[in-house]
Amino acid sequence: MLFNDYPFLLVFLPAAILVYRLVDPYPQLRILALVLLSFAFYAYGNPPFILLLLFSILINWLAALAYARTKMAAIITAAIVADLAVLAIFKYSNFLAYNLGLALGRSLPQFDIVLPLGISFFTFHHIMYLVDLRRGKAPLYPLPRYALYISFFPQAIAGPLVRWSEVMEQFGRKVYSPGWQREFYVGLAFIATGLFEKIFLGDRLARIIDPIYAQAAAGPVTNGDAWQALSFSFQILYDFAGYSDIAIGLGLLFGITLPFNFNAPFRSTDIQEFWQRWHITLMTFLREYLFFPLVNKRMVPRRWLPVQYFGALLFTMALCGLWHGASWTFVLWGTLHGIALVICSLWRRYCPRLPSLLGWALTVVLALLTGVIFRAGTLDAAFNIFQGLAVPPNLEQWRHLWPLAVIPLMAFLLPASQDVIALLMRRPRPWLAALIGFGLLAILVSLGEGDVSGFAYFKF
Amino acid sequence: MAACVGTLALGALLLFAFMILVDPYDSGKFGLLGIDGVDDRNTHTAVASLARDASFDSAIIGNSTALMLDPVDLSRATGLRFVQLAVTGASPPEEFAVLDFFLRHHPRVRALVVVTDPSWCAHDSAAPWGAFPYWLYGKSSLIYAARLFSWPALEHAFQRLSIGLGLRKRMDPTGTFKDIWPPGEFHEINKPKDPAPAATTAGRDIFPELTLLDEVIKKLPADIAVVLTVPPTLYPMIPQPGTVAGAESEACNAALRQIVAGRPHSNFIDYRIDNAMTRDRANFVDFIHYRPSLAARMAEGIAASIALGNAAKIDF
Repeated sequence: MLFNDYPFLLVFLPAAILVYRLVDPYPQLRILALVLLSFAFYAYGNPPFILLLLFSILINWLAALAYARTKMAAIITAAIVADLAVLAIFKYSNFLAYNLGLALGRSLPQFDIVLPLGISFFTFHHIMYLVDLRRGKAPLYPLPRYALYISFFPQAIAGPLVRWSEVMEQFGRKVYSPGWQREFYVGLAFIATGLFEKIFLGDRLARIIDPIYAQAAAGPVTNGDAWQALSFSFQILYDFAGYSDIAIGLGLLFGITLPFNFNAPFRSTDIQEFWQRWHITLMTFLREYLFFPLVNKRMVPRRWLPVQYFGALLFTMALCGLWHGASWTFVLWGTLHGIALVICSLWRRYCPRLPSLLGWALTVVLALLTGVIFRAGTLDAAFNIFQGLAVPPNLEQWRHLWPLAVIPLMAFLLPASQDVIALLMRRPRPWLAALIGFGLLAILVSLGEGDVSGFAYFKF
Repeated sequence: MAACVGTLALGALLLFAFMILVDPYDSGKFGLLGIDGVDDRNTHTAVASLARDASFDSAIIGNSTALMLDPVDLSRATGLRFVQLAVTGASPPEEFAVLDFFLRHHPRVRALVVVTDPSWCAHDSAAPWGAFPYWLYGKSSLIYAARLFSWPALEHAFQRLSIGLGLRKRMDPTGTFKDIWPPGEFHEINKPKDPAPAATTAGRDIFPELTLLDEVIKKLPADIAVVLTVPPTLYPMIPQPGTVAGAESEACNAALRQIVAGRPHSNFIDYRIDNAMTRDRANFVDFIHYRPSLAARMAEGIAASIALGNAAKIDF
């Protein structure tokens, strides 16, 4: 079920709000209702995978229970290995088979595997909780609350990745207490903003650049259109930031404050800042649960610690790339960003500070060029785009391509959506509320054509 | 929050009420303002308004290969009242939807002309080609109402309102599109999409779309004249006798002929033949779209068939 489609917006969401309104006076029913709603949401469209989600929740909760009683760390290790193995089977089997085939000099059969929605995200949620349980930071929770942590429908499919400590105590709280209207209103503003980002910015760019990437997959792009393909990074920004804002808004409708995922990344003046502003919750996860453990483990003599540090950084970013998809282009994308982060660190340590404008320009250029590798699918297609940049852009068409100028400008100049919403809602403004209502109506009318495209991060 | 939800709810209600009042596609399902016709160049949606117009008793069904047949000429030659219901880019299932819509809105039909391009001769059931608005031609008012909540519907609603206010003229109610292909050069595009040959000789006589057409026509009262016609294509694109393509074409023509065999005032006419007119590029816009010069000759044959059935002399 897509957040930007009628079945969700006109049927599921109103029904879910109504159900929660009815159970709100009964504390013992609130979590159960949200769990059942989340399962219904997940089962829609691909019912068999609900079994995978249920099984995954049950096994991990049982592992947590067993660990709490026995304190055997091996139980947590086994559960995490099992989680990663399931993720690997669904996401990386064909990638492994293909590369193994290359190594062996013969082609191995490819498996007909469909990637279950959200598997990357719920696997990471399990890992976050189990690791913290073993570290003694997390308590054991009842099964329904744990099930909701994994399956809460606003963020189950594509995040934001939430640490258990951020939401567990929020689950089941009374929503319809005095002042609920304000939280509800802010939630609607986030939903309207997210839908606007997705439909009017992200999808708008996608319609322009998708044919160019299709052309690049088939052969060289020699007509000057390759320049337009650089705007993919803006497309995925507004696609995923839009999704994240909708998720945050939905969370607020059910009394849950989810963490922000983007903070105007294209206003960054260096690549480190960029990664502190882009997909914030994923980077927090990677930093806390992969990078820091790798850096803090004594693996090399003290004088080699910088090498371990930068090695861990590169490894983390390469894995970040591989997490996005089972392809060497994603690994290359992540590794290039890792190299840029290493260079940025060394520059900060040994070189004079760059002017902010130059730093910003270098960061944007890096993000746009590596975005081509991320989107192209194959190195050949990416090369075709880069080769096409040798041809000057076709300026005759540009009056039809105003989104390619306006949307990047919005990314460069506007603050993060949460800051805009906070600023506008500092005090009650009835005209603004009416405007948001009108905006939601315009969005619903736009969706009426039935030409709905999925969110990019559903594939990851 | 009340202002936000109130605007959303009230706006949605007003918008929906406006759509119900205007009936943006003139489908006949709603529309309380009594506005006649549409001003719509998109045949996918425009044909609904034409097809339910009670002024007509006869129709031309087809896709862009039927578009040049002039309903006014046909009406003049036959004494019937023809409306042009060709839908550009339509596949047979989509043409069935239009035919069904026309039949539902006309209790007394006099004649039907179905232009059967090569897509009718497929040995497999046709897959939909594009986003045809079945919701507009279906029976359900509810499904139609659900599709009125969109920008295109809103644009159509304002067009209809403009017609109602006298600010805009409705399109030709006969569906005539004389200006669609202005005079000019021949374009080397649009080669006919002849279906893949049957895998076996036995399968050569199986035409799912023609079977459906046969069922539809068999259900019609016997006094309705039916003319099935294969549209002309430029000469090099005509299947040659003695080839697999030729055999396929002959099998399809035989099936088409069989559908109207024995039916009064009905005929099958194959205009996809080799003659001086189909060899002359001046008679075509591209390989499959003929100009009014050929359409006028085709109309003569169709009118003669409605008068005399398969005894008609086809001069082509």
